[in-house]
Amino acid sequence: MEKKSFIKPRTMSAIKDFVCVLPALVFLGIFTYYPICKLIQISFTDWNLLNERWNYVGLKNWIWLFNGSGTKHLLNSLRVTVLYSIGELTITLLGGLLFALIFGRLNKSFSIMRAIVFMPKYVAMSSAAVVFLWILNTDTGILNYLLNCVGLPSVDWLGNRNTALISVLMLTGWRAIGYGMMIYLSAMIGISRDYYEAASLDGATAAQSFFKITLPMLSPTTLFLFVTTFISSMKVFQSVDILTSGGPYRATEVFVYTIYKYAMEDFRMDRASVVAIAFFVLLLIVTASTFKVSNRSVHYDS
Amino acid sequence: MSKTTNSHLERQIAAQRKKKIVVAVQYTLAIIITLIVIFPLYWMISSSVKSQDEILLLKPTLWPHEIHLENYVNVFNRVNFGKYYYNTIVMTAGILSSQIITGVFAAYGFSKGKFKGQNACFIFVLGALMIPLQVTFIPIFIMCANWGLSDTFMGLILPECISPYYIFMLRQTFMAIDDSYIDAAKVDGLGRVGIITKILTPMCKSTLFTTTLVTFTSGWNSYFWPKIIAKNERRRVLTVGLAQLKNTFAGQATMNNHEIMAGAVMAILPVVVMFFVFQKYMLTGYSKAAMK
Repeated sequence: MEKKSFIKPRTMSAIKDFVCVLPALVFLGIFTYYPICKLIQISFTDWNLLNERWNYVGLKNWIWLFNGSGTKHLLNSLRVTVLYSIGELTITLLGGLLFALIFGRLNKSFSIMRAIVFMPKYVAMSSAAVVFLWILNTDTGILNYLLNCVGLPSVDWLGNRNTALISVLMLTGWRAIGYGMMIYLSAMIGISRDYYEAASLDGATAAQSFFKITLPMLSPTTLFLFVTTFISSMKVFQSVDILTSGGPYRATEVFVYTIYKYAMEDFRMDRASVVAIAFFVLLLIVTASTFKVSNRSVHYDS
Repeated sequence: MSKTTNSHLERQIAAQRKKKIVVAVQYTLAIIITLIVIFPLYWMISSSVKSQDEILLLKPTLWPHEIHLENYVNVFNRVNFGKYYYNTIVMTAGILSSQIITGVFAAYGFSKGKFKGQNACFIFVLGALMIPLQVTFIPIFIMCANWGLSDTFMGLILPECISPYYIFMLRQTFMAIDDSYIDAAKVDGLGRVGIITKILTPMCKSTLFTTTLVTFTSGWNSYFWPKIIAKNERRRVLTVGLAQLKNTFAGQATMNNHEIMAGAVMAILPVVVMFFVFQKYMLTGYSKAAMK
């Protein structure tokens, strides 16, 4: 108590306020910012978990990644990740918008159907993935059975280079599309009826009022969905891990899976680190550019 | 005169007919889509009670011939599902409680507190949102392994025990509350803990609840980190255990899909039940995030 009198009450209050946020700061320092620095350090070593010791090797890993045997894997991961992101964005944004238009009726039966379409978001990816493994199975899966029923040949969904990524997208799309729908719907409800009444007085068709009113008014929502889906789709791991393990022939080996494989299967922490840093830079570029685009092309209603 | 009324009437009838067609199409599409979306879940549940013979039929049966609930018991015998459940519950509870406590205090400091460098500190927190675990897991894994946290609850919980997202959401909510409430409470002699537990938390109940629901689901369904840090059976969680279940059949996974499906049903049960109970909040949790 004695000591307290030396400090002004206002300073004391500021210290107490700071103590409230201190755990978060310390924690994020240790578990978010420090690892990034550590990652950069590891990228200049030859750290293999199987060896006891490690040494600094200069730019060796960076050369391996950008001008060596790692380059083609890097480019492959980049290609697969971008393709996957485009797929998931299309499903979430276009599919979500379409579903929002279809499910936009405000009555009891539609609200039940909406809940069902939204629910897969809450189904753990593991459970969903094992069901899709079973549905997509070449010999006993029900999807191929249905294809055969209408006279189409069976497809080796997960084993074929061309369909493996589509299969992964089926799974993630199944979980994401209801979410896109719900976000769009809640935004659509917020659009004032006045706009539509004015438009219909002017003789606008339904299509016109959709393209001239609904779509521009939804642009902040579209941006939100675009940014969050883009970033989360670049971090995809679990569906790939369970469905295809990156195969066949690396056809579904997305960025995070590549990092995971180098680190946890080959124990090459050095190589995993350079790929992780490259991935991080890519994420930053994507985030920065989406925000830049958004500042120009989004219409805010105010 | 009558001619114009007639054509007007005709136009109205035509418009009504068109509206009816649109509604019919909307209903048909909605019902078809709903059936397709629910099918994987239906298939999971119906396969989980089929017999092995029925699973292997060349012509799949939509409705199980007989109900075999013993599949659920068999899964428990095959792998330690009870243990996985226990691990998942403890991990989720640990993540949830630490995120709530640290989140509420940090959100208070950033919204109602006043100290030098407050903005810089907040940017420090927001910046962490840009650095995902998928990038930093290598050093974190090495750190946790060095501290002896592999295959422990501490290892599962520690990297997830503070969420910048949670802090951000709560801070936005706390900001909306007028300072006069806080000042009045201070005059009444309430300290920081009192203000947080007696004023801010009750006033922001719904946001707190919805954000916590989002945290709960992501904790319960988390996979990436548990797979890395808990490789052993001892602290394996449901999601990882389920993904590995097919390996326990040594290449015979297809023949045992009825048991795998039974495991899948059990793994999602708590979250799906919660979804239907708190359906309304589940959505607002996400759409609130969309507004910010």
